[in-house]
Amino acid sequence: MTQHSRLRRMGWFAALALCTLCYVALHIKVHAVQSEVVRVERRIVQLEDEKLLLETEFETRASQEQLASWNRVEFGYAAPGAGQFVENERQLARFGAPRAPGAPAPIRVASLAGGEEAPPFPKFVSPLTGKPVDERLIDGDGGREELAAREAGGTMRIPLAAAVGTLGE
Amino acid sequence: MNALTFDAGFAPSRIRLVDIRHRQLLVAQLRMLLLGGGFALVAFAAILRIAWLGVVQPAPTEHSMAQALLPTRGEITDRNGVPLARAFPAYALWYNPQALGDGGPPLVKPAAEVAARLKEIFPDLDLAETTRLLAAGKPGYLRRRVLPEEVNRVNALGELALETPHETDRHYPQGKLGAHVLGYVAADGHGRVGMEAYLDQRLLDPAERGRPAMLSVDLRVQGALEDELASEMRAVNAVGAAGIVLDVDTGEVLALASLPAFDPNKIDAEGQKNMFNRVTNQVYELGSTFKPLTVAAAIDAGTVTDLSRRYPATPFPIGGFTISDLHSLGSTLNVPETLIHSSNVVTAHIVDELGAARLKRTMADLGLNERPYIELPARGFPIWASGDWPRLRAMTVGYGHGIAVTPLHLASAYAAMVNGGTWRPATLLKVQPGHEARGRRVFKSSTSARMNQLLRMIALYGTGRNANAPGFRVGGKTGSAEKPGAGGYRKSSLVSTFAAAFPMDRPRYVVIAMLDEPQGTIASSFQRTAAWNAAPLVGRLVPRIGPMLGVMPDDTRDIDLTDLRPLVGDKEGSE
Repeated sequence: MTQHSRLRRMGWFAALALCTLCYVALHIKVHAVQSEVVRVERRIVQLEDEKLLLETEFETRASQEQLASWNRVEFGYAAPGAGQFVENERQLARFGAPRAPGAPAPIRVASLAGGEEAPPFPKFVSPLTGKPVDERLIDGDGGREELAAREAGGTMRIPLAAAVGTLGE
Repeated sequence: MNALTFDAGFAPSRIRLVDIRHRQLLVAQLRMLLLGGGFALVAFAAILRIAWLGVVQPAPTEHSMAQALLPTRGEITDRNGVPLARAFPAYALWYNPQALGDGGPPLVKPAAEVAARLKEIFPDLDLAETTRLLAAGKPGYLRRRVLPEEVNRVNALGELALETPHETDRHYPQGKLGAHVLGYVAADGHGRVGMEAYLDQRLLDPAERGRPAMLSVDLRVQGALEDELASEMRAVNAVGAAGIVLDVDTGEVLALASLPAFDPNKIDAEGQKNMFNRVTNQVYELGSTFKPLTVAAAIDAGTVTDLSRRYPATPFPIGGFTISDLHSLGSTLNVPETLIHSSNVVTAHIVDELGAARLKRTMADLGLNERPYIELPARGFPIWASGDWPRLRAMTVGYGHGIAVTPLHLASAYAAMVNGGTWRPATLLKVQPGHEARGRRVFKSSTSARMNQLLRMIALYGTGRNANAPGFRVGGKTGSAEKPGAGGYRKSSLVSTFAAAFPMDRPRYVVIAMLDEPQGTIASSFQRTAAWNAAPLVGRLVPRIGPMLGVMPDDTRDIDLTDLRPLVGDKEGSE
């Protein structure tokens, strides 16, 4: 066996050892991350349980019966009457009073009536670039929809349970 | 031959060389084969492993969190997502005398001392009973419900025999509220009485229990209804009360209450007694609340066309029986006056013209001849005379006697009368917009519009004046029926009902309030009839629930009564 081939063989062994080492290191790392994930998951479950408990306790302490008895004893709130609602502009105008003689003239504010010759509404200009900003960015439909969905959902504990629930069994 | 001679001619060393080369080639080939075989084996093993992973091995354990967060029994919420029943992980306190495992005494400290320490943690603990249980040395529950911080304190006692196993607990945050709607979960893990029983499979199904089951009930409305019913029940010393709020367009039940209620968190003997549902299970003769249904049937059939026509109101003898009113209402009455003053005599005349068969058909169309439509398991069968109704029977049914139905029947019938004439089954499950039951037409819309006017007139000028909440355009009819007892009707015990709808210019909700055996007390001006207890109850309830349900009080609008107002004069009505 020549010197050259022996060297090559050692090189192979070294490469193999290195690969094995790398593999073992990676394997250990993967396991470490996995156990970290499991630990975090357990913590999440624990916190969710705690949240559930606290939320239920809150619901129990603030039950309708309890609120009604507090209202009877402490607050005495009554249902709103017809006088507390304004149905239309006509009813709103009823609250206005004619100007008394000698009263100061009302402050006039510059305004522009919308018509044929009215210029288009000025576009929002980015303070950085000085160019008009894309309409879609201003609208931010996605965020608003998400917010609306969260409001419409109404449930108090959507976040984790709902997201995880869709994963299935 | 030539080759052989040629070979033979070579030197033996040369031959050996060829042999060695040949052998080396064979060895190399063999090694190649072995190596290839090894690779193939590894590849085969890998494929096998992949197949095994894919087919045999169950899904990886990464869903552990999903599993842990999945409730053992699904949550029940109201229509706005407020939880009404939920399962949450809780603890119990279990005594395990074998925990130490050394055959010695189960507790480190004396039983009396351990019991005293436990009493410090749980102040409501029965000291003597706990000491007895600990000393007896038998395994068993010391307590079914323990909070996490209490678990920590129990563990700090250092007694291994006191174990705190994890248990799931079904909890109803609102306590007694809506108990008859919800029901409870028995020790076997299955629901009883209410929607817990109806939704049992869905609440236990692993695929579905992650999502809460939404009921049609609105918790705030339910709270207001039970609050008002309970306070009125106390004020007039009634033995029971029942109420229902129904959406007239979808049949959704927004609140359903039967008092006295039970506590689903703690089922005991007293709770068992109150489990009976007065709204869906108990049938009552609901009295005069039937008169608007009778008048609607007559208008619909065309036997009442002229509302100003006057009928005789003097006592009406028929078949050895005299139909009379509580007190004389004059010699004649027209139809609006009949309803305003609640005259039995004129209602009997109207039924006489309508005919028993047509009245019976309308009542059957309103679903009064079968069990009420609702998801709850307990549904009462009405007392309904089969066959052809004789004249007297039809007349008594016309003013709500000789027929006994549940308050839910009445609510569905009133909903059909005010919503344009379509009867729909009641439901406790939330109905998505546009998915309501098709229903069946019972009255023409013109009849329904006319009845809305008449119901509003009763609340404005008649027996329902105490229910006329300002701005809410309430319309409704009182009914006070004597309860049947041994040997006829009992004069002293009444069932007082008020059946209402609001707002009458565009009816959206039906409210039924019923009091069982109310007494004349100072709160009801020493009266026992519905005008003095059930009607004011509705008058207080509607302003509380109206704004929550999107009906704002408004003094500037009302149903148009200009064509009927001149027919009733200025007389004050009474029952």
